[in-house]
Amino acid sequence: MKTFEEKWTAWLDGQLSGRELVEFESSLPDLAAAEAEKRNAHKLGAFLKKELGSQALSNEEFFNHQIHERIARENGNPSRTTRSTWWTIPRLVWSGATALALFLICSVAIMRQHETGGQSEYLTQILNSTVDPAANPNATVAIFETKSDNKVTVLWTEGLQTLPADYAAK
Amino acid sequence: MLRPLLIAVVVMLAVSVVSADAAHAVWSGLVIAENVPQPAAIPPELTKFEQTLKDLFGYNQFEVIGQSNKTLKTGEEDWLATSKYFSLHCDARGENEGGYNLNLTLYKEKDALLQTDANLSRSSPLVIKGPQVGSGQLLLVLVVKEDDHGQTHRRHRVEPANPISAGFNRLRKAVHRLFR
Repeated sequence: MKTFEEKWTAWLDGQLSGRELVEFESSLPDLAAAEAEKRNAHKLGAFLKKELGSQALSNEEFFNHQIHERIARENGNPSRTTRSTWWTIPRLVWSGATALALFLICSVAIMRQHETGGQSEYLTQILNSTVDPAANPNATVAIFETKSDNKVTVLWTEGLQTLPADYAAK
Repeated sequence: MLRPLLIAVVVMLAVSVVSADAAHAVWSGLVIAENVPQPAAIPPELTKFEQTLKDLFGYNQFEVIGQSNKTLKTGEEDWLATSKYFSLHCDARGENEGGYNLNLTLYKEKDALLQTDANLSRSSPLVIKGPQVGSGQLLLVLVVKEDDHGQTHRRHRVEPANPISAGFNRLRKAVHRLFR
């Protein structure tokens, strides 16, 4: 379906014919004014052709040479130009931003998945502990965590046999 | 539209794999704590919780008489920290979300004095009060440290990990497991 502008241009150029021409002309509100405008357009066209068409290039050979060189350059190495378009700065920026977004999404997802463990997973846990009963029959053990920021887990033994100072040797 | 996404995924995986190179090391130390008139400087591995140790045990000097710095790759290694008379045998029995599952045995020469199973967290050190030795006290200390390319450094992670870095560590580990 042609627009009015397309039909108008075609009518000015005399390219409408038959039923299309009749329909278009009947749709014009003022055919006489349109005909006058058509004549003016033709006159203007003829005038422009006459005035501008004959202007010659002053450096014709140089211009041609430039064009030929450009065509040869572009035809000679098509793969290189295609490849180089891939690593443009906007694409790199987009890739970086997408990677960052993916990283953040994964981090958040994994963090949420393990949140049920709470703080205990950050602390050392003593699962069981035994002291040689033969050498230390009265030994006892206790386990606790310090309240300081370091969260040191302590296995506190009492009643172990005292040893002479020599045992502190390196 | 799909290619930028693909590139992004590759970049993310590459970054994760590179950061996964930072393995963990467990520092295990046999420490003699005692009160002396002029205490020596505390070993660097203990500086982060120096005050906690002083408050807990009431000593002013902590001297390392034996130590081991073991980089854990599979989480199933075993190692010894030894002094002249004591040795601490650490047997790692796997890694889990909370840290490393360790079986620890303290030997006095050939006698096993103490045995314990612990889940050693990456962010919380373990201190075991051993026997009294002379006027001092034997302590066993285990700390998990970050270890880049098998070389240890003095960075400790004794504070509770913040959620972002904990999340990052989990992601890093998950990706690392994929490439094992």
